[in-house]
Amino acid sequence: MATELPTMSNGATHNGDSNGANSDSVKQGLARMLKGGVIMDVVNAEQARIAEEAGASAVMALERVPADIRRDGGVARMSDPSMIKEIMAAVTIPVMAKARIGHFVECQILEAIGVDYIDESEVLTPADYVNHVEKSPFKVPFVCGCRNLGEALRRISEGAAMIRTKGEAGTGDVVEAVKHMRTVNSEISRAAGMSPEELRVYAKEIGAPYELLKKTAELKRLPVVNFAAGGVATPADAALMMQLGCDGVFVGSGIFKSGNAAKRAKAIVQAVTHFKDPKVLADVSCDLGEAMVGINCDKMAEGDRLAGRGW
Amino acid sequence: MTSPITIGVLALQGAFSEHIQLLRLASQLLNPTTTTPPITWTFLEVRTPVELAKCDALIIPGGESTTMSLVAERSGMLEPLREFVKVHRNPTWGTCAGLILLSESANRTKKGGQDLIGGLDVRVNRNHFGRQVESFEAELDLPFLSSITQKASSPTNNLQPTAVHPFHSVFIRAPVVEKILPHTTGVQVDEEGKDDTVVAPSKTAGEGVGRDVIGREVEVMARLPGRAKALSDSGVLAKDVGEEGDIIAVRQGNCFGTSFHPELTGDARIHVWWLGEVVQAVNKRKEAAAV
Repeated sequence: MATELPTMSNGATHNGDSNGANSDSVKQGLARMLKGGVIMDVVNAEQARIAEEAGASAVMALERVPADIRRDGGVARMSDPSMIKEIMAAVTIPVMAKARIGHFVECQILEAIGVDYIDESEVLTPADYVNHVEKSPFKVPFVCGCRNLGEALRRISEGAAMIRTKGEAGTGDVVEAVKHMRTVNSEISRAAGMSPEELRVYAKEIGAPYELLKKTAELKRLPVVNFAAGGVATPADAALMMQLGCDGVFVGSGIFKSGNAAKRAKAIVQAVTHFKDPKVLADVSCDLGEAMVGINCDKMAEGDRLAGRGW
Repeated sequence: MTSPITIGVLALQGAFSEHIQLLRLASQLLNPTTTTPPITWTFLEVRTPVELAKCDALIIPGGESTTMSLVAERSGMLEPLREFVKVHRNPTWGTCAGLILLSESANRTKKGGQDLIGGLDVRVNRNHFGRQVESFEAELDLPFLSSITQKASSPTNNLQPTAVHPFHSVFIRAPVVEKILPHTTGVQVDEEGKDDTVVAPSKTAGEGVGRDVIGREVEVMARLPGRAKALSDSGVLAKDVGEEGDIIAVRQGNCFGTSFHPELTGDARIHVWWLGEVVQAVNKRKEAAAV
């Protein structure tokens, strides 16, 4: 795939006014600047510095990486703002933070402390079983997870300026991320072959706004930047997602739950830049130490799956 | 007979695809009478020294400058890039992160600093306007576009040259040029002595490089006068940012830098203008080689 995302004149979705930080050009623009890069989960300033030195194009500040959220159980919430601020002070690259699905007040707080992107994330415990956050009015841009095209387009219509696959966070098993990306790709190619009448029916079927579906069918890709996330643990995983057409990669537990975090982080960054070059991929895959142990997604109980959160 | 020109876009990280799209558009819009013989353009994503060696000119796109310089270093690209820009003096344009990398001096870099390519005798201030919530759009007056027709900004309009209409621009966590440095052939020594400032290593221009591209002073190509207007709700007044406004576009010899993102707008006028500059530079070089 790897279809081009057209420049703003014909590519941006227009929901906001056209001046100031809450315009779509500015929100989607930052996502475009992150493309071809790796966004790493970090839990403190020290990890954030390791990520920055490894060449991360942004960091995601959170209290516990998804693997620990799984292990500990309980309610996972937005991180302590003082910890996020420490990370913001430690690095010069953009800092993202997670809010619970539907928890618009956590989003207001994250905006107030000045994070660069909010991830309305299924990795945290949902705060609303019905509604996602109405994201357009915020100045800070949002990234949201998806398992399929309908879910991606619903999030974009709510104002998400960037999409990622949900995958299955905290497992180190890339199989669900691959499934979600392949699902989105195949649904887009189906839509691209449809007449306007068929598209209307399809929009209803997948619960997507018609106009956004039409635009997606024309572009033959999502109308915003789309990253891989959920289970990426190796340089090869990252390059696999890039070759499937992702614009960049989130790595959560995969780095700081592995043997040699700094080396693995650098290797994944190189793999995302040189994703089409197997020789480079072979080089950077050497001697990385132990990968995170991982949980096999097919052995996982339904109730343990995070990707099912969000609607 | 056609004449081939290859333009590379550094594709280590960031918005390189957007530049390639606008280069394709710009090459179609470039007035054919200004280029005889007709030019066969090739636009290339550049990730390796071998790909860079094929290029007559280069764009360094927006993205994260720290990521790009680290990946460049680990991919064996940093020195070839310095050679390309500072020894061979090939035309190079940097936008946002690209402007940072082309500067001889930079502030507010990550702890431990970052590698720069250099080429422009300026000091940039990274993330000058603040974080993402301070990012904005602005209408810019760009006098250097006066020769570019309206058509480039809107392919449906006619070809008549008109008064320069404002260039809609996007500033994302943008840097500005906070100081024009005196031109020097070596490293920027005064800058090197400053805390929290990093400088680029010096390189001597190669033989056969035209004297017109060496020893030039930095030209200010554009300023952002009404930041107050752009930051409508932050209470900043024009006088707070100085009457002249921040420097957001500069040129020095073969190097051009903009702190905003023309690649995000769909307006190809700057790309058309820059391709024109590249054609002139390539032709001059050919003439010099023929003598």
